[in-house]
Amino acid sequence: MKSLSPALASLANVFRVPMSMAPARPSVSRVCHEILRQQQKPGPVTAALQASSFSTTSAMAKRKSGGSTTDKRITMIRYFLHHPLTPRPLRFSRNRYLRHWTIHRAWQLFQAQQRRKQELELMRQYQSMQEACEELRTGAGDGGKLFRVSMNKKGIFTEMFPIEYARMQTDSPPAEGWNYDWKKPERR
Amino acid sequence: MAHCERASKPLLQCLRNTYSRGIAGTQLQTRAFQSTASVKEAEAEAPSQPFHKAPDPSLVTSPRLERRLLRQGTAPIGSRRRRAALQDSANIPFEQLPYQCFQEARKVLLADREEKLKEIETMRQRLARQEALSVEEAGGEKAKKSRVTAMQLHLERLKILADINDPLVKRNFEDGEGDMSKPIYRFLADRKWREYRRKILVQRITQMKVIPDVLPHCDPVVDTRMYFGKRQVQAGEYVDARASTSAPKLDIQLFEGGEKLVTIAIVDPDIPNVETNSFDYKTHFLAVNVPISATSTKVDLSQLLEDSQVVLPWLPPVAQKGSPYHRLSVFIMEQKNSRPLNFEAIKTKETSRDVTLRTLQASYHLKAIGAHLFRTQWDDTTLEVMKEIGFDGASVELRRARVEPLPYKRRNPSSFR
Repeated sequence: MKSLSPALASLANVFRVPMSMAPARPSVSRVCHEILRQQQKPGPVTAALQASSFSTTSAMAKRKSGGSTTDKRITMIRYFLHHPLTPRPLRFSRNRYLRHWTIHRAWQLFQAQQRRKQELELMRQYQSMQEACEELRTGAGDGGKLFRVSMNKKGIFTEMFPIEYARMQTDSPPAEGWNYDWKKPERR
Repeated sequence: MAHCERASKPLLQCLRNTYSRGIAGTQLQTRAFQSTASVKEAEAEAPSQPFHKAPDPSLVTSPRLERRLLRQGTAPIGSRRRRAALQDSANIPFEQLPYQCFQEARKVLLADREEKLKEIETMRQRLARQEALSVEEAGGEKAKKSRVTAMQLHLERLKILADINDPLVKRNFEDGEGDMSKPIYRFLADRKWREYRRKILVQRITQMKVIPDVLPHCDPVVDTRMYFGKRQVQAGEYVDARASTSAPKLDIQLFEGGEKLVTIAIVDPDIPNVETNSFDYKTHFLAVNVPISATSTKVDLSQLLEDSQVVLPWLPPVAQKGSPYHRLSVFIMEQKNSRPLNFEAIKTKETSRDVTLRTLQASYHLKAIGAHLFRTQWDDTTLEVMKEIGFDGASVELRRARVEPLPYKRRNPSSFR
């Protein structure tokens, strides 16, 4: 029996395969494929029994008589978790963790401050707009007529800008540049 | 030895060469986070003895010197690798570590702290102004009170927000060196308690039905630990009769500032009563006017004052043979407005141990702020303890009365014959 690489040995361990039977290094996709193919396909009886859509356990597998069968999903999880190519979990020393925590807190604080600033700016803009409208309504001296006319929404969604102005949004300006000769076509 | 020293070398050299100027520059500004505790300054005094004569337990690496230290009774600190690294490190304090992103983050946090401190100052002034206002100016008693309370709450919150981003505070708290007189450490301790220990406690006292049996309601806000002798008792644990002959010690951690006067009661709701075929209450301990605060947490029930605190002294709990387990529930109850109760009046009035805790709570305006629980049952030592304390039912073994099955449930009723 030839000796296997440590990666293969761990794979064999994961799948509970005797070492001599393990083939040459399987690729991940092939492993997945084989495992999924091995999964028992539900026959017509089983498929009919599995009526509940919420349960992930097949009805026959739930029966006590079936004995214990390992779930294929668990095998897959174990495969990827214990694979030698899976990076080890991230571990920090105490000081390093504290530094990480400090930086994290500062970043969160900075983001919160930014959000707050933006909110306040929006609020300020809204209020100043409202004040302007109020001034127009009460201070213009025309009994609020100008305000009423300006608040009129008539034609806003029907009389839009000409479709010729529209252009697909692109990362760069158009190749032919600005067309200065363009005139709005007369409406018939 | 050589191995670990070699391993720690390159990093240190890199640190020393690249950042030595930067560290000197940061030395001045890095003090700003700390308000009270000062950084330990570099030891200036030159060692009078050579190192091998008086080895430092935090720096020693040679096994020979380590062994000598161990023989002297001081264990070396940390791993040998760490000690080797410390031997020729610059011993930079944590907040001056020359990592750029870390230092930038500290700048952000310090700026925020400054801002919070300013806010605290203005909030204090506003609060003082609000309190100085007369009732008419503030617009009524109720409005003034609600405004002042809201301001106080906001002030407490600001105090916590000012310190919560400090890595040194976090480190101190994790090391258990937090100063409970400061609001930030109380906040962190409270949060930690609520994450696990309080959940367990509430589960125990509700699953074992202490809550509707002894008191209708309890929302624990103080962390309570109980010790019989040196052994800590978890909530709901069985305690030997021998161990509980002397009164337990309590460790009551308050998470608010200030001092509180509390009443401590230990009640057993499971005394079997054969005549009525039910269970009676018995108060095993009752003490009033016990002062607790966030810093003074230890309460030894056997050391409380006989003439001004203990109303009913400790009665060792015993469970008769055959009786179900007894739940000995400890309740910490806050006295109204932290005002002392009249001890003499209570002492003359509460002489019976059979009064329920609900009655006491109603008549003295108490509010349960903490609870604990232990159980006792018949064990090998119970009989001795019963004889010691003169328990009169020591020779009795309780049996369940046989319940005649209902006619239709009988195996062999007369109608079958």
